Amino acid sequence: MTEHDRSRLPIRRETFAGAAGRTLDGSQPDWNLIGHPAPPDGAPNVLLVLIDDAGFGNPATFGGPIRTPNYTRMAEAGLRYNRFHVTALCSPTRAALLTGRNNHAVGFGSVGEFAGGFPGYSATLPRDCAPLPRILRDNGYSTAAFGKWHLTPDGQQGPAGPFDRWPNGWGFEYFYGILGGGSSQWDPCLAENQKIIGTPEDFYDEEHPYYFPDAMADRTIEWLHGVRGQDAGKPFFVYYSTGCSHAPHHVAKDWADRYKGQFDQGWDRLREQTFARQKELGVIPADAELTPRDPAFPAWDDVPDTLKPFYARQMEVYAGYSENADHNVGRVIDAIDELGELDNTLIIWIWGDNGASMEGTVTGSFNELTMQNGIPLTDEMQLQLTERYGGLEAWSSSLMAPHYGAAWAWAGNTPFRWGKQVGSHLGGTRNPMVVHWPGHITDAGGLRTPFAHVIDVAPTILDLAGIPAPDTVDGIEQEPLHGTSFVASLTDGAAPEHRTQQYFETIGNRAMYKDGWWLAMRTERIPWLLTPEALAPYAPGVWDPDAGPAELYYLPDDFTQAQDLAAEHPDKVQELKDLFWEEAERYKVLPLLATLSTFFGMLPPLPAETTFAYRGDVQNVMPGMIPRIYNRSYAITADLVVPEGSAEGVIVAEADHLGGFTLYVKDGKLTHTYSMMGVFVFRQVAEEDLPTGDVTVRMEFEADEAKPATGGNVTLLIDGRPVGKGRMDHTVPVRFSGYSGMDIGRDNGGVVDRAYEDKKPFAFTGTVKKVVFDVTPHLSDQDELDIHAAEQHGQAAHGLSA
Amino acid sequence: MPLDQETTDVLIGGYLSTDAAHEDYQAVLSCGARLWGAVVVSKDLEGNLSVEQTDHMVEEGAAGLASVGFVVGLFAPPLLAATAIGAALGAVGGKVLHRRTGSKIEESAGETIPIGGAGLIVAYKHADAETVEPAVTRAISKVVGEADGHHVEALKGALADAQKKLAEDST
Repeated sequence: MTEHDRSRLPIRRETFAGAAGRTLDGSQPDWNLIGHPAPPDGAPNVLLVLIDDAGFGNPATFGGPIRTPNYTRMAEAGLRYNRFHVTALCSPTRAALLTGRNNHAVGFGSVGEFAGGFPGYSATLPRDCAPLPRILRDNGYSTAAFGKWHLTPDGQQGPAGPFDRWPNGWGFEYFYGILGGGSSQWDPCLAENQKIIGTPEDFYDEEHPYYFPDAMADRTIEWLHGVRGQDAGKPFFVYYSTGCSHAPHHVAKDWADRYKGQFDQGWDRLREQTFARQKELGVIPADAELTPRDPAFPAWDDVPDTLKPFYARQMEVYAGYSENADHNVGRVIDAIDELGELDNTLIIWIWGDNGASMEGTVTGSFNELTMQNGIPLTDEMQLQLTERYGGLEAWSSSLMAPHYGAAWAWAGNTPFRWGKQVGSHLGGTRNPMVVHWPGHITDAGGLRTPFAHVIDVAPTILDLAGIPAPDTVDGIEQEPLHGTSFVASLTDGAAPEHRTQQYFETIGNRAMYKDGWWLAMRTERIPWLLTPEALAPYAPGVWDPDAGPAELYYLPDDFTQAQDLAAEHPDKVQELKDLFWEEAERYKVLPLLATLSTFFGMLPPLPAETTFAYRGDVQNVMPGMIPRIYNRSYAITADLVVPEGSAEGVIVAEADHLGGFTLYVKDGKLTHTYSMMGVFVFRQVAEEDLPTGDVTVRMEFEADEAKPATGGNVTLLIDGRPVGKGRMDHTVPVRFSGYSGMDIGRDNGGVVDRAYEDKKPFAFTGTVKKVVFDVTPHLSDQDELDIHAAEQHGQAAHGLSA
Repeated sequence: MPLDQETTDVLIGGYLSTDAAHEDYQAVLSCGARLWGAVVVSKDLEGNLSVEQTDHMVEEGAAGLASVGFVVGLFAPPLLAATAIGAALGAVGGKVLHRRTGSKIEESAGETIPIGGAGLIVAYKHADAETVEPAVTRAISKVVGEADGHHVEALKGALADAQKKLAEDST
């Protein structure tokens, strides 16, 4: 095999070693020219699995209540790692995982949606930080990603790209999944490679409905079979990133029903049970202490008896949803085994990217977007809205977009405090990891305890493959990897710790780890609260990070962070504070709270466009890219051709009945329906029939005031003539949906108005020539600026929950 | 005691689900108190209206609740009065109080009950308040109006009082 210089990517093509004369006479071909670079001998296949929004205490493999037989069989034939760490937020963990570098240093101090104006928060991968899939691809691996991506900025998820922010641009030769942070599992707006392909056709198959986790496994297996059908020896790198267990918690009812009654004891007792099992399994030390409940979470005993079934069902669904993820990963593993390649496949399976998510707030929600739109609902309101959409038995169905109560997430992070977004504590930063590699791991079923971080995964994979991190890629000098290989721990349980220090930072929550000491610096804001009162202490000129509370733990003696030693070791506190600032400077963490900068007046430029035109064949416009109709007056104008005998169907629709709008014709009448997050539904119907021929229809919304969620009056017009009117008392202030797209001429996926549910996608039977949105700026520049600020606040809130 | 010598109470409850409204409706019917009338009106997700009423006043030859009108104003406040994202997103006005007297219940409720929502009206003598009111456990918003006088006038007066309280709650 030709030895390649792998320090410069792409690998240079082979030098022609034959001879090319004027004619074939005397010429000698060199068949190496048509080959491709191959990885070093012995480079294994790699299956990298990442579960979403899950905690240390969720899977049974680590003592949790959720049955995970496939995770356990990998652990029993491989290794459990119980001191593996992530970043406490979704995109940052993914960016660190796939680059082997600290998340801020590669532009992901926050989530993909939030592309901010500071280097550590741009949500844009620097070209001097080539990611792992690119390195593996250029070294001869077949690379593919399936499932959740969440590394593409919100406004760049359409046909205009730019595609270097999409999975293909990161080095994955094939991608099937979702670009955003969360998705319906029943009707995701899918992307395949560099195209949004929208709602899967099987969504409309009532007998065998589409389910994203099943389809992910199917597509992965299909891809593996295709690769092996072509090339029996080329190693593969599969990144299998489940949408589960992120909200909405969608799973077939029978999966949830397997847990009927198993959470009736509530979250407090569940933690105790999990903690006891963790000790029995030995995944936590025998002397570990269970940390106490923070007052932010209610005691289960204080929950009214009438509401306990509501809360218990939330966790039953989450558990069934998570078990299904284990099932589908197991199908992929079985397929690799069936190919006869399990022994040559390194499997790294991380159960959770940021701890379990507390973003369902205290109550949980029938629709996760209610929180992000600033709609507070009591648990009784949540229960009634749940009843409206089918009741507890439908909690996991497509009729809802559910998220569970925060206390269930806290219980899922047993034995630690807090969870997602809280980078200062282990609830948000420590997740289980299992490594499986038969024939190489000799201590099958063993436990490994080195302090490891998600940035160590890529260096470990490269180490095992014998591939160096490149010095240059595309001629650009590369930032060295920040992670360190933990290969030694695979075969040696007594191997020295490969990592002795690491910083953590998520939305101002900070930690500094060094030589066993952990300094925790948590902002006192509750993660799901973004009220002015909650944010005021963090305003520029007000907040002094060093003046905030700091807790000090010595983890070798205190696995769970139960004993705060700060008062006893002020010098260590100061040393770690100083070290944090050094690391923060080095890795572009600064300025702290850049994620919340819009709340403090640092706004992106005010958009100038007021007109948005779509021809009739445009579909699947991602929800972050629809016209900015929120919180202001606007009009939708559509040019139609209506055949003799009239027409029916959808002219334009965004999202679904849990938030969205639709302009359609049914029974000859132009109709506009607007769902304010499924809480309020407003409908206006024309009083006369739609005429035939060339027709222009229009919906005008006149806002009452320049305020978020403003009410207003609706007028329907046909060829300029008013034909109907109505009122909408509340409108959506931030975002209709986190995942459901806008379509011209039909309503793909779940429909906005249940009145045409039986006709979905209710394609227009005439012709939609063009749909134009005209948004009307507010009269006062200050009003326009205030609304812009409020919308940016909402976007930040959405991003933090994604 | 004749109706026109009693103080009449009218309870109005608002719901985000029809199930919850019917649960309370059944609860007041079986609470043991003598009701002058009870009406539950709901609208499903497709916008279809349904009305169920047990109007005891009809038995006495008086006009039923349906004839004195249906009142809403139940649904917005305090649903959006505060916000998790911030005051900027919470500055949402309350629902305008709609008043429909003298019209058929289907017409008035059809315009004012939101899709997926429901309303409950119960009329009873004030002396039974401690029996009736605790039976209504699931209303998102609930007001009680009261008035004295002849039975139909008392009903109208109590409804008006309830409407006024709803309006106050909405501001």
